[in-house]
Amino acid sequence: MTAGPGSVARRVRRLREDFDQSFAEPARSHDEEHFELLTIRAGGRPYAIKLSQSSGVHPDRPVTPLPGPQPALLGLAGFAGAVVPVYDLAALLGHPVGEVPRWLVLAAGTPRLGLAFHELDGHVRAAATDIIRDSGETGDDGGHGLGGTLRGLVDLPGGSRPIIDIPAMRSLVHALAGHAQAADEEDAP
Amino acid sequence: MTSRDPLRYFRIEARELVDQISSGVLDLDQQPEPDVVARLLRFAHTLKGAARVVKQQEIADRAHEFEEVLVPHRDERVPALPADQMRELLRLNDEIAGYVTALSAPAAAPPAPVEPEAPIRTVPLNEPTTQAEVDQAHVDAELARGADAASDRPERAATADLDDLLDAIGEASSRIAPLRDGGRTLARLHRKVETLGERMRIGRTTVSDSSARTSVRRLAGELGALGRRLTDAVDQVERELDEVRGRAEGLRLVPAGSIFTALRRAVRDAADGEGKRVRFQASGADVRMGPNLLNLISGAFLHVVRNAVVHGIEPEAQRLAAGKPAEGTVGVHVERRGRYAEFRCVDDGRGFDLAALRRTAEERGLLAPGADPAPQALIDLVLHGGISTAPGVTDVAGRGIGMDVARDVALQLGGEVSIVNRPGEGATVRLVVPLTLLSMNGLIVEAGGTTATMPLDSVLRCVRLSADEMAAATATARLAHEREVLPFLPLSQALRIAPAEGGAGSGVAVVLAADRDTVAIGVDRLAGTSTLVARPLPDLAPAAPVIGSVSIDLDGNPRLVLDAHGLVAEARQESTTARGDSSLPVKPRMPILVVDDSLTTRMLERSILESAGYEVDLAASGEEGLEKARARRYGLYLTDIDMPGIDGFTFVARTRADPALGHVPAILVSSRASAEDRRRGTEVGASAYVVKGEFNQEELLAHIRRLIL
Repeated sequence: MTAGPGSVARRVRRLREDFDQSFAEPARSHDEEHFELLTIRAGGRPYAIKLSQSSGVHPDRPVTPLPGPQPALLGLAGFAGAVVPVYDLAALLGHPVGEVPRWLVLAAGTPRLGLAFHELDGHVRAAATDIIRDSGETGDDGGHGLGGTLRGLVDLPGGSRPIIDIPAMRSLVHALAGHAQAADEEDAP
Repeated sequence: MTSRDPLRYFRIEARELVDQISSGVLDLDQQPEPDVVARLLRFAHTLKGAARVVKQQEIADRAHEFEEVLVPHRDERVPALPADQMRELLRLNDEIAGYVTALSAPAAAPPAPVEPEAPIRTVPLNEPTTQAEVDQAHVDAELARGADAASDRPERAATADLDDLLDAIGEASSRIAPLRDGGRTLARLHRKVETLGERMRIGRTTVSDSSARTSVRRLAGELGALGRRLTDAVDQVERELDEVRGRAEGLRLVPAGSIFTALRRAVRDAADGEGKRVRFQASGADVRMGPNLLNLISGAFLHVVRNAVVHGIEPEAQRLAAGKPAEGTVGVHVERRGRYAEFRCVDDGRGFDLAALRRTAEERGLLAPGADPAPQALIDLVLHGGISTAPGVTDVAGRGIGMDVARDVALQLGGEVSIVNRPGEGATVRLVVPLTLLSMNGLIVEAGGTTATMPLDSVLRCVRLSADEMAAATATARLAHEREVLPFLPLSQALRIAPAEGGAGSGVAVVLAADRDTVAIGVDRLAGTSTLVARPLPDLAPAAPVIGSVSIDLDGNPRLVLDAHGLVAEARQESTTARGDSSLPVKPRMPILVVDDSLTTRMLERSILESAGYEVDLAASGEEGLEKARARRYGLYLTDIDMPGIDGFTFVARTRADPALGHVPAILVSSRASAEDRRRGTEVGASAYVVKGEFNQEELLAHIRRLIL
């Protein structure tokens, strides 16, 4: 009973996570001067998301509504046996909640978190020079984001788009859910 | 498949035998019976033989020595092993277990050199005769199950579970047959349509032909029937697969009984060290939970049971003097309570020594000298570490370490630990931990287009409701059911789903019980039951209290598992709100008649009831009560028992016998607390019985809300 079955399970889990992660992470650009961006629409407005801050984009994923105190929490979605909470990006950005969003992006990091948006415009590579007022800059965060969830703007054909900072979005969700953002949780198998 | 590892099967078999030997030795210790000796001899012998085959001489030798100790006792009517022989058996048991464990450790001790071709004789793991005899053996069924289930190792998933899983798979496969039949039928219909089409194409048949029209009609009919059959078949396959998945997930969980043998051994060893006689009892071997959780708890409970033996159980002489049986009892009981598992260690010893606790606490500066904390406050100090009641620190227990460990484990698992002290009669240490993965039976329900699962444990019954009944229950938030009025909550409301278009149709009321309260939950329809594994809600998903956990359905999508406690609380609250809401077309509430000869009680009850919004009339005697009851329509009678003139029992009996009053519920409120009085109360027809000593405003109001329409 002392021979740790838990240690094997842990190792298997780590291997599995590494394996999954290797797929989830976009091929990194060798060119440091560029950013991979997803251009999206949430609540009818254009935004951009850095691909490096996400671990997957999914259309039409069924979301089981979860009644609760958070209007921005759309519900739960299943990903390979894991249950992932899905929040409405538009609501988190302070837009009036309209129709049910169709797309969802998985935020990088743990615990798992899905952010739903209405439309996916495309996937672009933007040169660093196209990004104005990037992170690290103090003061104005360039938009109407709650708690600094928008970091910078990107100039693209068709106009400039605010960039949604996924880690900041995650912090906002943690705060809304009343969950301390901590290191990995100890979870039983 | 050639076995390159000659020890592969031996490991499995040896572990199984060691478990059986470990549990058998403890059986023998507690209840010496000839069949236990016979059983142990058989296990030891099997192990010896198998060990020799794979050249595990150390194990074979120990098994042989084990046999040698037992052989002289084989024919004794009541095997009487002297203490030193018993100890020797336990020692050998431990040594064998040690060797076997070492064999399983991958890198440790390279296996003895054996020719790869050496034929390996393996004894079937569960030789039917052995198993049958084991089953017959007079052992505590729970312990046997515990030992049998002792498996945190994948090779040994409990056989019964695998059988269940195989049954479920078989069942699912058999549901495929109708689909195959359907396929054949479809092929036949296809041919008919083609023929018909061909005839039309070449002009032999035209649409105006009556035979063509008949053919088409017949085809349409057959296709319709086939469609229905296929839908049914797919539904059934889906249900069966759901069952299969639930059972398969359940295999990942370990029965609580798997830790009983270790705990039993700890009790035995501690008792031996202290020169006490202690019996070990266990219940709840079948409660299943994650192996990690169980391991942690097992570690903590080893200390807790040792503490119980060392600190709790008195020496024999003291026990006899206190009128207790010479043999002490330590019990470990496991129970599932909703999403929590409760582990209790109960002993019948002396309880905690409060005076000693107070002294130690004062010495340690945990308690201001002269302070007079309540007994429970003192007990709670034990949980906070550094205090032990043992006069001396022994090698097995002392310094309150056990309680520290229990507290740490509880903290780590997000649970709680508490102690109930019964001075002179024993103590109970209770560890309650939330279950992360929990195998449960669920009732699948649908409401407002959503599917959710209710824990089947909490479901008392289901009642079909017509559309009218459903609408009435929804409007009043109440449902009359079996002479009781239950709070009624439509599930779609609890889940904040917009009600279906065109109002509610017929449905089902699921009667749920939790927290000693009963409510009815309205759903659109029932969709069967299933075994499922419920997992906790993700951290970032705060949910309404009616949601307990979540499971994964066949399509990989989350399905909500409702929480019975949350539903009961919400239904209660909604029902109360609905009643207070004057905008609803609710009948005016009927007044309550209070019958009591004591002015104080009358006034007290009146103030409670009036502040809860009821109109109250008072009567100072049973006679006056009867008179008033006949003069006005009441919703409820609340009556004392002991009154001059006719007493409360009589008052209730007389009103029950009166056809005009019999339907009005009556509650007895009395200082009499005996079971006999309660029984009499029920006999005369009282709907509830409230004891004044335990007078609890909320309890009384809860009864009233339950009873009054």
